[in-house]
Amino acid sequence: MSAIRRIIHSRLFVIWGITLVTIVICLAVVLLLISHSKQTITQDAPPELPWQANPTDMLPDPKQVNLFILESDGLELTPIRVELRLYEDTTERIKQIISALVDETPTNYRNPIPRGTILNEVYIDTQKTAYLDFSHHLSDGQIGGTTAELLTVSAILKTVFDAMPEEIKHIQILIDGEEVETLAGHLNISQPMRF
Amino acid sequence: MWLNTFNSFPLFLFIIIFVSVTHGFAQGETVRFVDGEGEILDEVEFILHENVVYLPFNTIKSVFDSEMTHSYYTPLKQLTINTKGKVIKVEMGKSSVIIDSSRQTETLTNPPRFIQGQPMLPIIFFQMVLPKLDDVTVIYKPELQRIRILKKSNLDSGVSDTNRTWTIIIDPGHGGEDDLGCKSQNGIFEKDIVLKVAKEMQMQCKNLGFAVQLTRDQDVKKSREQRFQYANRHQGQLYISLHCNASFSQNHKGIRLYLNNPYGMLRFRTAPIPIFGKKSLNIRTQANFLNQSKDFASVLQKELNFLSEDSIVLSEFPIITLNDVYMPAVLVELGYLSNTDDVARLSNPEHITELAQAVVHAIQLYSSKVDQSTKTNKDSEEDSSNINER
Repeated sequence: MSAIRRIIHSRLFVIWGITLVTIVICLAVVLLLISHSKQTITQDAPPELPWQANPTDMLPDPKQVNLFILESDGLELTPIRVELRLYEDTTERIKQIISALVDETPTNYRNPIPRGTILNEVYIDTQKTAYLDFSHHLSDGQIGGTTAELLTVSAILKTVFDAMPEEIKHIQILIDGEEVETLAGHLNISQPMRF
Repeated sequence: MWLNTFNSFPLFLFIIIFVSVTHGFAQGETVRFVDGEGEILDEVEFILHENVVYLPFNTIKSVFDSEMTHSYYTPLKQLTINTKGKVIKVEMGKSSVIIDSSRQTETLTNPPRFIQGQPMLPIIFFQMVLPKLDDVTVIYKPELQRIRILKKSNLDSGVSDTNRTWTIIIDPGHGGEDDLGCKSQNGIFEKDIVLKVAKEMQMQCKNLGFAVQLTRDQDVKKSREQRFQYANRHQGQLYISLHCNASFSQNHKGIRLYLNNPYGMLRFRTAPIPIFGKKSLNIRTQANFLNQSKDFASVLQKELNFLSEDSIVLSEFPIITLNDVYMPAVLVELGYLSNTDDVARLSNPEHITELAQAVVHAIQLYSSKVDQSTKTNKDSEEDSSNINER
């Protein structure tokens, strides 16, 4: 009997052992998967930061920024809030914000910035005027009409002024490095402007 | 007792719903009367009888003549109205209207009727009879249920008392193969609509004695500078640029007016130059005419409000379309080609005529206002010089 009991005990020991090992393996697999997925999120979450240009920069904390776009059935530009890891440098910050504005079109929203538009460069003068040099898509992609033109210009101006009320006081839009009189033939944008 | 209450509850509920619904319908159905200035004279509830709008006879009192009197002779079902020194007799169920003093008879397409315990007049009565009683034009807009009573004496003939002929420059936007303007989903181009409206305006203006110049009278491309030069060379007194609008939202609709103001809702950085300052040069720019442009735009706004469901929006922005014309100037966006309702309206020749008519009325009202003030100034100058001579 004692031999049988020993066998049973040793079997129970083996079963419990196998169970414990399985649990440990499962936990390890789950933890591995979680850590892997976290790595993926952290790789995708922040916008492409120019690390090479600023190798000494620390990863900035995310900040909330309002991007002004149009609801599909709306009549006015409305702000949608996004989180961006913004740089301290004003020029870089404008580039990040405008890039987010150009790319952002959630469901049920219309972006008044024509598709394909790229912000080539940003220049800021001593009078706190930002010169935003866009690609020709900004004017070529206009659908015509004073309202559409106003919405495009207002979306850019409102987004930048809202994010940097102290740093930027006026904005002039350039196309491919040149001053332009208008985007679609109605609104005069030949000078720096504000609301 | 409780059982009875429960039994009668559905009936009670039905009565409440029926009364509220019918009451709601009655309240919503009104005709709005507006005067020549676009001010509301009265909102009158109407009754729809066999698809004809009928109004109470005493509407005449609230919208046309506050001193109107009437009598109703029941056996003959005859209504007699005394207004503006004339006696009008109508019989219920009969289409003829007798204007007594002149023995003139008008035949209406729909007869007056006795409805809901009172004599009611069909809408055509107001359109046909009121102009026979006074110096007025009556315009009815059935889709908006609006009637406008416009005094003819307010409208200038184009040649003023000061013997000045008004020259109106109409600028149909875009044109040619390269510059189509905006386009509707069903393939209507802005350049074609604005040219139609411009030509209609030209015809109506010429009939009234105004001199009219179009910056383009066919489908050709004209640069901004060419348009400005043309307008300035012809020394117009008004510049009206016609365009169609478009938006990223399909819900944007209606007519919009814009004035060129570099310090409007969007402001240029450069400080305004004191154009009329004593030490500065008297440079001619659009900014010199901003106040006159505002005056004309507000007259135009009231005229166009009559055609529009919602109030017409007037905005001031740096508008390049009006930048270098040296006269009062307004940009009229006739409707949105991105909105299906507006496209349907702009495709309707009747609406094109109405639009042109509204703008031409505004020109008449504005020009007579300006001429009147010029004449008054001239008279007061003459009076003061006469006093000095004495």
